[in-house]
Amino acid sequence: MNAAQWGGASALFLASAVEWVEAFTIVLAVALTIGWRRATGAALAALGVVAILIAVTGAGLEAAQADIGLIRAAIGIFLLLFGLRWYVKAIRRYSGRTALHDEAREFAATREHLERAEGRAAWVVAFKGVLLEGLEVWLLVVALGHTLSYVAAAGSAAASLAVVILAGIALRAPLTRVPENTLKYLVACAILSFGSFWSIGGLAGEQAVWPLGDATLLLLFAAYAVAGRIIAWRSRAAGSAPAGARA
Amino acid sequence: MRKLLQLIFGDLRNLSSVAVALLAAYGLSRLAPGAAGAALAVLLIAAAALQAA
Repeated sequence: MNAAQWGGASALFLASAVEWVEAFTIVLAVALTIGWRRATGAALAALGVVAILIAVTGAGLEAAQADIGLIRAAIGIFLLLFGLRWYVKAIRRYSGRTALHDEAREFAATREHLERAEGRAAWVVAFKGVLLEGLEVWLLVVALGHTLSYVAAAGSAAASLAVVILAGIALRAPLTRVPENTLKYLVACAILSFGSFWSIGGLAGEQAVWPLGDATLLLLFAAYAVAGRIIAWRSRAAGSAPAGARA
Repeated sequence: MRKLLQLIFGDLRNLSSVAVALLAAYGLSRLAPGAAGAALAVLLIAAAALQAA
């Protein structure tokens, strides 16, 4: 490859890595709730769908590019609906409210059923997140593929996926030491961040709404994380939380 | 299936919170696109505060 092709391959590697990191963040978040096996299964299923889409619609790239905004918006809205519920539940646990509520209402069998159903919903979150990011990487590969070769472009994208997976595996052990509600709270903040970014970005145009690009995700995450703790703290300080019912 | 849909979409309050926040942000994006994203986040945080209260 010449210098220009190396430059193109490097750009594709980095751009793909950004998309894979986003996908991996969602899988990681879901894995902390439903386990690595099921979350990985969801990710592999989504990658399989992307592979099938590439094989079936390889010639229909223009249609896919026209629809990517709508796909992004639809998945973003789904994540908002799911993420807001988790966010509120985690805040209520921090302020002590959900613990009292659950104790009074739920029987063990009902609770188990709810957890199973919630696990299926979490699986769908991981699947859709990886599906969307996989589609975006596919568009990158096709867009830059004509300056390299499609094999080199796909190779760059695959190499960046491998690097992101290896980095993620290294993060698994430290995360197991984080308290459960803290993990669920951080998961909710991450899902809300992606949901916000994709939903309004898909509806109104990502570059117009989020001029800082993907870096906005970090800002959104920080905003949701700080705001949620303030809400929980105020709720507890208002004296509405019963003593001893702390998450 | 009904339980799964309920778990995804939540109750009416959750659904309406997201719908109102998105519609408001989308409306704002027609006038000031750069402010729409921040408005969405602020509205969702406000909705969470109301639901958690």
